[in-house]
Amino acid sequence: MNDSSFDVIEVRADLEAENDRFASKVRELTRKRGVFLINLMASPGAGKTSVLCRIIDVLSPSYRIGVMEADMDADVDSHTVTTHGAQALQLRTGTSCHVDAKMTLRGLEYFEAKMPDVLIIENVGNLVCPAEFDVGADLKLMILSVPEGDDKPLKYPLMFTVSDLMLINKIDTAPIFDFDISKCKDRVRALNSEMEIFPVSAKTGDGFSPFIAKLKRLIDVTLTEKRKGVSQ
Amino acid sequence: MIKVIELKRTVTDSNDRDAASLRRELTERGIFLLNLMSAPGSGKTTLLSRTITDLTGKVRIGVMEADIASDVDALSINALGAESIQVHTDGMCHMDAGMTRDGLAELNPKADIVFLENIGNLICPAEFDTGAHRNVMILSLPEGDDKPLKYPYMFQKCDALLITKTDAAPYFDFDLAVAEERVRAINPTIRIFPLSAKTGDGMKDWEDWLIQEWEKQKNA
Repeated sequence: MNDSSFDVIEVRADLEAENDRFASKVRELTRKRGVFLINLMASPGAGKTSVLCRIIDVLSPSYRIGVMEADMDADVDSHTVTTHGAQALQLRTGTSCHVDAKMTLRGLEYFEAKMPDVLIIENVGNLVCPAEFDVGADLKLMILSVPEGDDKPLKYPLMFTVSDLMLINKIDTAPIFDFDISKCKDRVRALNSEMEIFPVSAKTGDGFSPFIAKLKRLIDVTLTEKRKGVSQ
Repeated sequence: MIKVIELKRTVTDSNDRDAASLRRELTERGIFLLNLMSAPGSGKTTLLSRTITDLTGKVRIGVMEADIASDVDALSINALGAESIQVHTDGMCHMDAGMTRDGLAELNPKADIVFLENIGNLICPAEFDTGAHRNVMILSLPEGDDKPLKYPYMFQKCDALLITKTDAAPYFDFDLAVAEERVRAINPTIRIFPLSAKTGDGMKDWEDWLIQEWEKQKNA
């Protein structure tokens, strides 16, 4: 690996610094406009869009909801969430495997005229790269689904370390998969003792009430703080 | 109403030359390398374990386990008595040709067939040629039949697609015919094998293909 015939320039720190600058701008803008920003992350097929539709259904009577759908090359999810009554913006990331703060800022600026109260980024389906990029969100929400297995915290530790709240989705399929919820929780808490964990099924609706209650509290507290700060 | 913004595409293809030369070297050494890719939790390790067990005595299989952290997979493969090595990518989301070369140098396989079990990720690994002779991917039933629409590069790049966890079909709305159609629309020549590594259903077709491709390579 070490070859003295060429020089190595470390650009990673520069990229991170640039992303952090944009993340600060995102935070400034969401504070000024009173927006609660959620970064939703998970593997492909863990059920991000199904969870999102449930969240929209429950929250849309009380809040204006916006969704930024990030996909490499598709807009099926945007169509789905608009039928649930959210404003949607499709971000096509091409071969890029995550949403960064600069993309988020661009998306936020698109909502400028009719800014939602709650804006949810449905990140690219990926348990690795999105964890590395702070987009300036108020809540990092991740999903692990039962069929993926209870060993995922061991293999993708960063995602579990940086997230604030975690859903264990597809618990209705528990009878056919060897997924040990308490073992999984232990593995997550070893990485992130603060993590709040809710087992749910987006298909049946099981387990959503405590999660939604928690989410509403978070949104209300944060929005009150942001709006108070602006009016002063 | 939906607005679509096209973000700039970053191209990283500097690794192609390394991959081509690694492939040549492996061919000369009589090692058939397969790059196995999928999303996290699709069942890569379970599939490999079953394949190794089924083919014991027919062909020697070695495994290079790539993970960001942990060595749970290498331990599982080791328990089967197969040659294995754990590669840690230290946060990297894919394997490239250079990392594959380093891993193989450590493994120093006597095996006929070596699997690189790539990082669980449907995106980044598709962009990097590892020097493998064949690219194989897994899509598991619980992930949904819409995945070819959302992660087209991975489906485009692979020679074979294993649709796993077919035993879980009663629990999921996965339409096999629709999935196959979507895959063939972007990759008409891909081989598709529905199977369950848990029950063994459909394993034989995949294993026959594997042996056949290995023999093709050997006699080339």
